[in-house]
Amino acid sequence: MSEVMKDFDKPDFSVDKYTKQLVKECVGGADLQQRKKEIQVYSDQTSATLKKSVYANYMQFIETAKEISHLESEMYQLSHILIEQRNILASLTDEKSPGNAQNNEEGEEQPTQEDVENSHATRAVKEMVQGFNGNLEGKTFLNEGALIELDTNDYRPIQRVFFFLFNDVLIVCKVKHDKRLEFLSEYDPKKIAVINIKDLDGVRNAINIITPDGSKIFQSVTAAGKTEWIEKLEVAFRFDQQKKTNKKGPAPQPPKAKQTSQQQKDSTNDAKSLVSDLSPTDSHAGKTVENYGPDWIHTASEEIQTLVAQRYFEDAQALIKRTQDYIAKDSSFVNAKHITEKVKALETQLTDVLLQELSNCHCRNLQVTLRASRRSLKILVDIGRARQACGTLLKVATMALRTAQREARRNNTEISELFFCDLTQVACEFLTAFETQPACVGALVVWCNAELQYFASQLIKHYLTKGTHLDAVAKCIEGIRKPCAKLTEIGLDLSYHLEGLLRSTLESLIEESRVRLLETVGRSEDTWQPYNLQTKSNLKRLLLELDALGIDMRTHTTGDTWINLTQSTVLFTRHYLQLTAQCAHLAKSEVLWPSLELLLRDMMMAQQAVKPVTGLSVDPNFVLKNKLYLLEELLPIAMANFRSISGSERKCEMLLDLQRHLRKQLAPVPKQRSVYQTDVF
Amino acid sequence: MSKKPTVGPALHKVIMVGSGGVGKSALTLQFMYDEFVEDYEPTKADSYRKKVVLDGEEVQIDILDTAGQEDYAAIRDNYFRSGEGFLCVFSITDDESFQATQEFREQILRVKNDESIPFLLVGNKCDLSDKRKVPLNECQTRAQQWQVPYVETSAKTRENVDKVFFDLMREIRSRKTEDSKATSGRAKDRCKKRRLKCTLL
Repeated sequence: MSEVMKDFDKPDFSVDKYTKQLVKECVGGADLQQRKKEIQVYSDQTSATLKKSVYANYMQFIETAKEISHLESEMYQLSHILIEQRNILASLTDEKSPGNAQNNEEGEEQPTQEDVENSHATRAVKEMVQGFNGNLEGKTFLNEGALIELDTNDYRPIQRVFFFLFNDVLIVCKVKHDKRLEFLSEYDPKKIAVINIKDLDGVRNAINIITPDGSKIFQSVTAAGKTEWIEKLEVAFRFDQQKKTNKKGPAPQPPKAKQTSQQQKDSTNDAKSLVSDLSPTDSHAGKTVENYGPDWIHTASEEIQTLVAQRYFEDAQALIKRTQDYIAKDSSFVNAKHITEKVKALETQLTDVLLQELSNCHCRNLQVTLRASRRSLKILVDIGRARQACGTLLKVATMALRTAQREARRNNTEISELFFCDLTQVACEFLTAFETQPACVGALVVWCNAELQYFASQLIKHYLTKGTHLDAVAKCIEGIRKPCAKLTEIGLDLSYHLEGLLRSTLESLIEESRVRLLETVGRSEDTWQPYNLQTKSNLKRLLLELDALGIDMRTHTTGDTWINLTQSTVLFTRHYLQLTAQCAHLAKSEVLWPSLELLLRDMMMAQQAVKPVTGLSVDPNFVLKNKLYLLEELLPIAMANFRSISGSERKCEMLLDLQRHLRKQLAPVPKQRSVYQTDVF
Repeated sequence: MSKKPTVGPALHKVIMVGSGGVGKSALTLQFMYDEFVEDYEPTKADSYRKKVVLDGEEVQIDILDTAGQEDYAAIRDNYFRSGEGFLCVFSITDDESFQATQEFREQILRVKNDESIPFLLVGNKCDLSDKRKVPLNECQTRAQQWQVPYVETSAKTRENVDKVFFDLMREIRSRKTEDSKATSGRAKDRCKKRRLKCTLL
């Protein structure tokens, strides 16, 4: 069939001829019909392929366009970064201009400095490390430092170690008590595997090194130290490959950087001279040629385009404004209308570019993000696009904020302070940028609330999970409230909202703790004998500890080592006061007060209800003494502590009720001693 | 607070293997923190640990997220030795990564010297089914040939993420109970028996 159809593709194809030919060839109508069908099918096929290839081309076109815009934005960012870095460098050299000469000298010495370092390290190893006698000549020194070796099972520190890392050997020494180093072992960096421990039951800054003789965990004091070790061990691992590339690598780089910065400088000058060149002509022309308007106004639109492309947004904006001002004054010249439209379109284009720029400047670091956004923000505010700008800025800030949070959580660092610091930074930056725009401030408040909500949800998910102990909860909440309260300094009060978001979680955690703690009361069997601490110093230590918690037990001591209360009472005292402090910290928010007070009340009740085991012979007076002590000494102190730490004026109604109730219960005891002896004990 | 390490929950060591960029870290982070991380940063070797509840029993999972890049191939043996189970990940949108799984499998078997080591073949990025390059039946055939389960996951939508980790932990756990039942002398027999069975099947 296709061969027949080839006729169509011939350049000298004529419809008439073809039809005549067809009619001649065919015998009868049926055959003709058949041919017609064939042609029809071919036509359908052709149009389908046409569609397909158009579509394919179209897709390619779209993808190419996308790629181009990607590249464009990358170029923007790149030049942006370069400009920023140039500025930083410039400011640094300005600051350090007196020390400049020194810097240069240092730079010249650099190649030899490396050698000096090598020999220095080699000497250090020889002199300081006992028991090492390998040859270190000709090796490159990479890093040294102290680390702590941890037990691989329970992550407890085993010993302090010191590492020397050379290009092809890692020397591990033990730090002895007299600070001297003892050689332990050496490894080939190419045969050890380094694992970055990101999450391990709260052990921070640890790395795992798999050596031929087993896997070991080392801990660095700082996070930076850890990353440095990972990097340096990597360098050692691929030292041989790197040496080759290194020699080619850094050498050509500096001139490149210089070139670009020079180019930029040149172009800055060019652009500036262009603008300044133009200004004399315009004043000149504006007066003399009225009909045509000044020359510059005709080239303005192209000029603006160039400026935008070269990223001189300020200049572009100034030129737009100047053009608009001029047109507002005098629009009688030729082409005025056309130019007005063009400039208007360019203004929208500028806005788009700036908004794009703004949404592109999200980095991992919030500060960098904010600093990078300043320029675009200022121009956008100036051309009256503050609303759009603020929306984009907040979106970018959200991203930076959340990334920072995630990183912090993964590195086990303090997240609440970070969050509020970041929030403050955004707010400050925002307020300076949009000072004059009250509508935008509203957007900030809404944004803060949304971020707070997200933060609270993350907090609940990762830190306030079910089963978290009360002291951890108290610490966590304390760590949030403080920085949150600080926000009021810049006029943001989020405390109320935050408490609301966390309330239900905290209440259920408190309830859970209450149930758990109540189970522990009275677990250990008490002999109901006075508490003997065996030595004087033990007693002294315990008294000091209790003193720090706010209770003086000296009146209850007898002899050198005795406390005239049962062991369980004394231990409960300590526990109860610690618990009171934790609860009081949480009770700084009024809404949590009732559940916390309930917890304290139930704990006291449970301890009061502890009875001696049946069949144990005890002195009922001593039992009573313990109960009265709990009621009359511990409880009032706990109440006072609770109120003073939580800083509230409120009275502990529930605890006072309990006190009254217990007093009634305990008071008649001496009279009806016989009854209690038989029934209760 | 917990100063008695020996009494702690059972620890299962899982290793993520597969070519670069197939989403090993994304799967790990999704499992650990319920988050999908968009930006790509090649991993060197990161380890994570988490307490999870496996069929009502609290256990710890230790995940070693390894580098997929070729330049680390030389020291992979060192990492693999410590693993008790492996998630061999490839991207269903990248045929090369699928081909590479063969190599990973061989290396693991060589290092562990055990045909029946707990192992899952994981086809990641299943949310991108319109860009699929590796047909499903090919994946299944390979899994069958290795006698391992095959699961398709998406770190982005969290589909089957928990499943692969929990399935692997279950396999590791059942292996451990088997091993503890069999005395050291019989362990070798068991291996032989298994192999015999395989040939029969």
